Amino acid sequence: MRLTVHDLARAGTLDAPDADGAAGGSACGDQVRIQLRFAPDASFESVRFGVLGCTAASAAAAWLAERCEGATLLEAARLSLDACVAAREIPAERHACAAVALDALAAALADALVAMPVVPRGARIAVAMSGGVDSAVALHRVLARGDDAVGITLRLWIDPDAPDAARACCSPEAVRRARATCHALGVPHLTLDARDGFRETVVQPFLDDYQAGRTPNPCTTCNGDFRIALLAQTADRLGAARLATGHYARLVRHDDGALVARGADHAKDQSAMLARVPPALLGRLEFPLADAHKHDVRDEAASAGLAAATAAESQDVCFLGGGDLRGFLDRHGVDLRPGEIRGGDDELLGHHEGAVAFTVGQRRGLGVAAPEPLYVRSVDAAAGIVRITPIAGLARREVELVDARLHRPVSHVRARLRIHMADVGATVEATPDGLRLELDEPVFAVAPGQVAVLYDEDGAVVGSGTISR
Amino acid sequence: VRVYCDHAATTPLCDEAWHAMEPFLRERFGNPSEPHAEGRTARAGLDAARARVAEALGTGDEYVVFTGGGSEADNLAVLGRLAGERGRVVSTALEHPAVAGAARAAAGELALAPVRADGIVDVDELERLVQPGDRLCAVIWASNLTGAIQPVREIAELCAERGVPLHLDAVQAAAWLPLRLDELPGELTVAIAAHKLHGPKGAGALAGRGVRSLARVLHGGGQEHGLRPGTESVAQASGLAAALARRVADSELAGRSAALRDDFERRLEDALPDLQFAGDRIARLPGHSLALIDGIRGDALCALLDDAGFAVAAGAACHSAEQEPSAALSAMGIGRARALGALRCTFGELNGAADGDGLASAISTLVPALRTAGAAVGA
Repeated sequence: MRLTVHDLARAGTLDAPDADGAAGGSACGDQVRIQLRFAPDASFESVRFGVLGCTAASAAAAWLAERCEGATLLEAARLSLDACVAAREIPAERHACAAVALDALAAALADALVAMPVVPRGARIAVAMSGGVDSAVALHRVLARGDDAVGITLRLWIDPDAPDAARACCSPEAVRRARATCHALGVPHLTLDARDGFRETVVQPFLDDYQAGRTPNPCTTCNGDFRIALLAQTADRLGAARLATGHYARLVRHDDGALVARGADHAKDQSAMLARVPPALLGRLEFPLADAHKHDVRDEAASAGLAAATAAESQDVCFLGGGDLRGFLDRHGVDLRPGEIRGGDDELLGHHEGAVAFTVGQRRGLGVAAPEPLYVRSVDAAAGIVRITPIAGLARREVELVDARLHRPVSHVRARLRIHMADVGATVEATPDGLRLELDEPVFAVAPGQVAVLYDEDGAVVGSGTISR
Repeated sequence: VRVYCDHAATTPLCDEAWHAMEPFLRERFGNPSEPHAEGRTARAGLDAARARVAEALGTGDEYVVFTGGGSEADNLAVLGRLAGERGRVVSTALEHPAVAGAARAAAGELALAPVRADGIVDVDELERLVQPGDRLCAVIWASNLTGAIQPVREIAELCAERGVPLHLDAVQAAAWLPLRLDELPGELTVAIAAHKLHGPKGAGALAGRGVRSLARVLHGGGQEHGLRPGTESVAQASGLAAALARRVADSELAGRSAALRDDFERRLEDALPDLQFAGDRIARLPGHSLALIDGIRGDALCALLDDAGFAVAAGAACHSAEQEPSAALSAMGIGRARALGALRCTFGELNGAADGDGLASAISTLVPALRTAGAAVGA
């Protein structure tokens, strides 16, 4: 490992840094800080590093500081762990220590992004990188076209108490994998700490919905109200007119704007997750996996040698971190409301440990013995009462939507009333509060809080709304 | 120009050891177990080496077992004593991993005697812990970290009184102290290594009356009383013997090294008044100095000193991502942050009179700069 006396010239802090990033302090106790100051030409004229750590962390911090001096933000965002450990002869068992320094630089560059003058929009494309295989292949496809790409990872959530924190999509490992994937392809990578906004915009409403007895779709909320907009904003700062993500969804472009549509892989289709993305943003989006099937994506990642090829599949709700819903809600202050299970005639059938974790249509976990299968018909979170019914009692022909949007004037749609459910034909009618759907056939599990996604006959999302009743 | 202040890690081969080894690497190549002329000339070399080592250690020829180094000798002493039975072992937190690891792996019960703040084992507590029937008491003669010399005579006496065999790891001590095994009572074994005293690497010995009651750990031929099967390396044994004899005959090195070390410590204390040295200032190996420096990590300071031309060692090992100070420093009551700032400088034959000065001045220049880096993370 090479750490030199000369390196100490950049040790310390800057008087008035434009950007400041720190990382570390956990398992091994190594801590690294990197500070940056811009020159008028938007390169870094001064760089300082701080470190209290082993030789590997110190050497990596010193190397990054040395290489950042005179570099632009995007040049600095290309500095890779591989190059760092090679330059400083850091052995494999100490790469984790060096990675702490890369984390600190990533934090400093995210800070610098805010301080940097906005780059005029050009041909550059920003690619949202989660650390998973889908976004890695999306990036690979964008590069294969010869585009000038920059990778962006949003750190949305860290829950060290989750049963399987590493499986959550924003674990430090996932962020590092996203970075490594970009760097291996020569692409600059930026990591934004979006945890506060995510908590406020996605997690808190998720908790509030459950507390109120509703069953929310946090992924739809995240993409629609938070993530895509933040990525687009970041792309703007970097001069990237376009933004690509690894979703399995298509875009159909009409004269009156673009619409999200089902991806070619119907089993993986993620169009519903994107149903609430504002139409104004859709025009800038690209989905390189629109025509892909999951197995092709895995093969492509493996043959291209992408770091994310073997990453564990992230979950529907990334921030649950492999844990059960009830445990998550409990850990985050939701009053679970234990109480009674009652039948159709209000007869007491049993007790449960928390009304809020039940979903309308749910069959498992009721703990009630009966000759025919029983399902949750309604959740009264305030009273702690879960009402159950045989399947016939669930049938619904009418659904009310609030917070509804229609992107096209339509009278009949294919409605998907929950994520993993076949869609159903429905006639759409406006109401004072939103929309009413008259279903062509009865549907058995309509859960308040879920987003109803409305497709036209070609699979394009023409509207959506939150099921109120 | 390099300045080498890591004698406790290893030392280069001296001329005497090289000249003693060389004939056995080529012309006197025979297998000592063979009765023919080639074998006999090799056997004669091995016998001579054994006699030299026995004399230097104050023990009988029949009580010297050559091994492939200090760690092997330590393992043999512990594993050969337990002989596959999971008996009780009493030891200290100061032990080298060769002893500590073997004891953890093989003992049925392991009791560790506490260590005082000066790096010396609490003998009263050790005396309380050692019970008749214990399979082994294992104590390092002098700490590889602080150089603190343990009261081995008292320990040998208390073990002998209880009939408990004693193993002393003298890998560091042998380079500096006269080891008169005949003056210590009881069923005793002592491990030494050649390369700490300018002998060859891969050469060591387990010596003392206690070797004859050890069970074999390795299987093979009957070499070295069956305790170290395999064709003997006469060259390694001869190198060890020559280096040890040379060291025993050198009456000036200890004084010279201690003067150098003390001068180094004085200068460093002047430059960095908040610095501390670990281990007893008197009962300490002459070349050893363990500095505890706040606000830095010892291994990063080592790397910088290396760049500046000085070879020294970090006092706390950092294994992969988990940086943990040594058990020895923890046992001395030294906190984690301070232990991670430990720097071990060990002086010896390779040092000139100005080296202590030079090293002290390099450290006192680098530490403030490294502290600036540490302060920048708000530590």
